[in-house]
Amino acid sequence: MSEFDAIVIGAGNGGLTAAAALQRGGAKTLLLERHNIPGGCATSFVRGEFEFEVALHQLSGLGTEDKPFIMRKVFNELGVMDKVEFVQEGELYRMIVVDEFDITLPASWSGIRNTLIENFPQEEEGVVGFMELCEQVTMESFMGLPQARKMNSEKMLNTNCKNYVKYGLRDAKSVLDEFFDDEQIKTLLAAYWCYLGMPPKDCNFCDLAVMLYAYGVFKPWHIKGGSQALSSALLESFLEAGGEVRFNCSVDAITTDQSGEKPKVTGVVTENGDSISCSQIISNASSVVTFGDLLDTPVLPSGISQDFKSRDLGTSAFCLYLGIDCTPEKLGIKNASTFISNTMDEELMHDTMSTMNPPVATMLTCYNVDDPSFAPPGKSQLSLLCLQYGSVWEDVPVEDYAETKYHFAEHLIEQAEQVFPGIRDHIEEVEVATPLTMMRYLNTPGGAIYGFQQNPEDGPLHRERYDQVSGLHLAGSWQGMGGFQPTYMVGVSTAKAVLKKVRQNKTTQESEAEVANV
Amino acid sequence: MSNSISNSNNTSAKNAGNAKTNILENIVGYSEGVERKRAREKTGSDFSQEKWKTSNDIAKLHPKRLQLKVAEVIQDTPSTKTFRLVSTGAILPPFQAGQYINLYVNINGVETARPYAISSCPTHRADPENGYYDLTVKLVDGGFVTNYLLHNVEVGQQFSATSPMGTFYHNPLFHGDKLVFLAGGSGGAPARAMIESVLNRGLKIDFHLIYGNSYENDVIFEDTFRELAEKHDNFHLTEVISRPTEGYSGRTGHLNAELITDVIGSVEGKTFYVCGPTPFNEFCEDQLTSLGVQGKHIRIECNGPPKTPSCLENWPSVVSEQDEVRVKVQGKGEFIAKVGEPLLNSLERNGYTVENACRSGECSLCRVKVIEGEVFNPPEARLRKSDETFGWTHSCVAFPTTDIEILY
Ligand SMILES: Cc1cc2nc3c(=O)[nH]c(=O)nc-3n(C[C@H](O)[C@H](O)[C@H](O)COP(=O)(O)OP(=O)(O)OC[C@H]3O[C@@H](n4cnc5c(N)ncnc54)[C@H](O)[C@@H]3O)c2cc1C
Ligand SMILES: Cc1cc2nc3c(=O)[nH]c(=O)nc-3n(C[C@H](O)[C@H](O)[C@H](O)COP(=O)(O)OP(=O)(O)OC[C@H]3O[C@@H](n4cnc5c(N)ncnc54)[C@H](O)[C@@H]3O)c2cc1C
Ligand code: FES
Repeated sequence: MSEFDAIVIGAGNGGLTAAAALQRGGAKTLLLERHNIPGGCATSFVRGEFEFEVALHQLSGLGTEDKPFIMRKVFNELGVMDKVEFVQEGELYRMIVVDEFDITLPASWSGIRNTLIENFPQEEEGVVGFMELCEQVTMESFMGLPQARKMNSEKMLNTNCKNYVKYGLRDAKSVLDEFFDDEQIKTLLAAYWCYLGMPPKDCNFCDLAVMLYAYGVFKPWHIKGGSQALSSALLESFLEAGGEVRFNCSVDAITTDQSGEKPKVTGVVTENGDSISCSQIISNASSVVTFGDLLDTPVLPSGISQDFKSRDLGTSAFCLYLGIDCTPEKLGIKNASTFISNTMDEELMHDTMSTMNPPVATMLTCYNVDDPSFAPPGKSQLSLLCLQYGSVWEDVPVEDYAETKYHFAEHLIEQAEQVFPGIRDHIEEVEVATPLTMMRYLNTPGGAIYGFQQNPEDGPLHRERYDQVSGLHLAGSWQGMGGFQPTYMVGVSTAKAVLKKVRQNKTTQESEAEVANV
Repeated sequence: MSNSISNSNNTSAKNAGNAKTNILENIVGYSEGVERKRAREKTGSDFSQEKWKTSNDIAKLHPKRLQLKVAEVIQDTPSTKTFRLVSTGAILPPFQAGQYINLYVNINGVETARPYAISSCPTHRADPENGYYDLTVKLVDGGFVTNYLLHNVEVGQQFSATSPMGTFYHNPLFHGDKLVFLAGGSGGAPARAMIESVLNRGLKIDFHLIYGNSYENDVIFEDTFRELAEKHDNFHLTEVISRPTEGYSGRTGHLNAELITDVIGSVEGKTFYVCGPTPFNEFCEDQLTSLGVQGKHIRIECNGPPKTPSCLENWPSVVSEQDEVRVKVQGKGEFIAKVGEPLLNSLERNGYTVENACRSGECSLCRVKVIEGEVFNPPEARLRKSDETFGWTHSCVAFPTTDIEILY
């Protein structure tokens, strides 16, 4: 019998939340991570006087103390609410399309409405209708839809999810076109597509609507000490509950018993050659790595193969982490999140992501605007990010890599300097991360940061949970969606399902033992 | 990404299988989605053609370990040897001139490692047959590993090492094109790699090396540097000897502000690299600061744990470096350690293996969690804010000042 009730592979958001929930739920759990620190994307690194946030731009789902939302409950259950401090951001984002517009959306639902109407008075009717729709679709997707599906009731669906039925699975672009004539307001409202990785034409309206509504009503947040602080708090909670962790310890194989109809996990083998037996394994590694590389079956289980064939790797990112020797005000940066673009054509932006062409859209984040403690006094940290597919970088000859990377970084600085001149002169530290850097630290194919591409047919209504291998569960951006909130949540929900199995096993074992004793 | 319906609904998606009861077909766009998915299933790939592609791609650039063999040992000066290392495995990964590898050694049963800058130009690594890294090692008085390397290592001997790491290299995004390298002793190693890399690539960079050494007969790469300075207008060399023999006609003394100004003129618009023994680094930093060079234009290579931590600010006054404490490693055992020895070293001395690379507090590979007791973290420890909150430390530069229990 195994020493552990469950093994979790990978300490990214999905792995950490799963491990903490399992151990706190009474399952003896082993967490194995190949890197030297927990977090996956949700991490930081130190250069000079700066501790750079790697990934978190805006945490969603938290809500305020007065108006709490789901993540407060989740973090509470995981025992980390008193271990971290959250900082609310004042605005959703400022969006600047060079030579077109420069508008800042506040972090308030009515504030967004007023700002939109002020800037686009001719679109007032559209604004009111569109925002109403975002709210309805969000509500329905959280409440009515799961109920209707549970009951399998067409009637409930058609009466309680009217808006979802009509708009939820349409592409975001067509819905924006239906409500607005002005191209500017459409671009402004679609800005968050970069958090999904697919342009409005190719993403579900529902995903965009939920994001706008959730950030608008429940506010965007970040964490004091960065996302690393939350990752470390989750680990702490896991350890406090008696969990066991090993860093610098990659899992090289998941072993199975293939005698039955369905393969059944028996344990893992680590990079040191240790075999650890266990009948419940949660993998936070990508599905492609988990099933394609780690799983010891001679071929992919057929359901997996079928699913993979209808998938594409999602985007990675090119990111510059800048330590700046002055305050954000000095550079004219007034908001934590600024989207800078040279075009309103999202498809062009998306096409550019598969090339080495200078990016046409960059996201600038400066945490110091809302939290001066993010850098030493008088200084600040900035990140410049553009989405980019990893395949372009896989083709760069090894000899040219460093030069290519600096060359591409220049483009990002140039794009940001169109709006905030003088950045370069204030650089004190800079680190460049390419999609290959993401691949190195995350072990994801193509350096993908949100998992598989999120086309409309890749959402939860079209995809089932992987259950082709008994005892093997996936938690993270490759099971569902990428991003912080989804991966935290999928970790917890996966752990809950596994806990049930662990408890069942225990009861069976106990009764078997009793029988044996008799 | 804030969309969490994915999570609430995953489990019930099974219903989608049964066409008759699939209520989702009522949703506009649902059936088209099913169709598109089917079409993709017919034409797509299941990523299985290239098993381990991700790992292999990563390993090309950042293999966890290099397997190396000494191809040549070159006696550079009485105190210094260069070890030319070739790969016995895959082709050596690329690096940026100035980076180091951490070389693993086993000396009388103790598994330890030391980081060394690669002293050869990156262009020499690529040849699949003869590609190499040079490590140039200068003897340190009483040094555990340097003594072993200089006195025991022969051609043919094999080592493992980390892949190249570190942040001490020319970053064109903000270092500019006027570079000054202040090197002391073994600091000549990364200097050679950086200079050759600039010159071999024909970069429009003006590079000045000010090279300080104690003795005229112990200057590493003296001939190489002189030849390069002779040949290239954009490379300038100033040699300085601190303990000259009588009659030495070159520059003597230390790399102080006066000498620096004399040699390079204005410091304006220049980036300075500093690499040498810790006292040398500290001295140069002071001098540059006194000349008005901003911190961001001074890049100093890390250089191991502090030699006498008890002299540092915040050292607990009741503890002396010679004191002994008990170190308990959760689930593994315990041993007695000297307060003045970095925790990583005493762990290794007692047979515990902890991953490590920079051994200078910078890379965080050697993180351990202190569950019980206190350690002293010197400024070298580049800890994250949350490390302090939750008790994590970089064992390579941490000194146990009480009995401790750790976890890793
Ligand atoms: C998710 C994430 C986690 C991080 N965690 C840490 C951390 O724990 N500790 C830390 O110190 N930093 C961390 N960082 C920052 C990261 O180290 C820096 O971005 C980084 O040092 C540069 O990336 P890299 O080392 O992957 O290197 P690369 O960008 O790959 O470069 C590193 C070195 O390898 C060389 N190199 C790599 N590939 C090639 C190639 N194909 N051809 C030629 N040269 C090549 C480069 O020239 C360079 O010298 C993290 C970044 C991310 C995105
Ligand atoms: C630069 C950047 C910016 C981002 N910006 C945002 C943002 O603003 N908002 C947002 O919501 N999301 C953002 N994201 C995306 C978000 O961070 C990720 O989607 C999410 O964190 C992924 O979590 P995960 O659980 O899938 O695990 P990952 O973070 O992918 O972690 C997986 C872990 O598993 C480990 N692992 C893999 N294979 C093995 C193995 N064989 N053995 C042991 N361990 C293994 C890895 O080392 C890693 O620690 C960003 C990501 C990046 C990189
Ligand atoms: S080995 Fe790099 S921080 Fe300790």
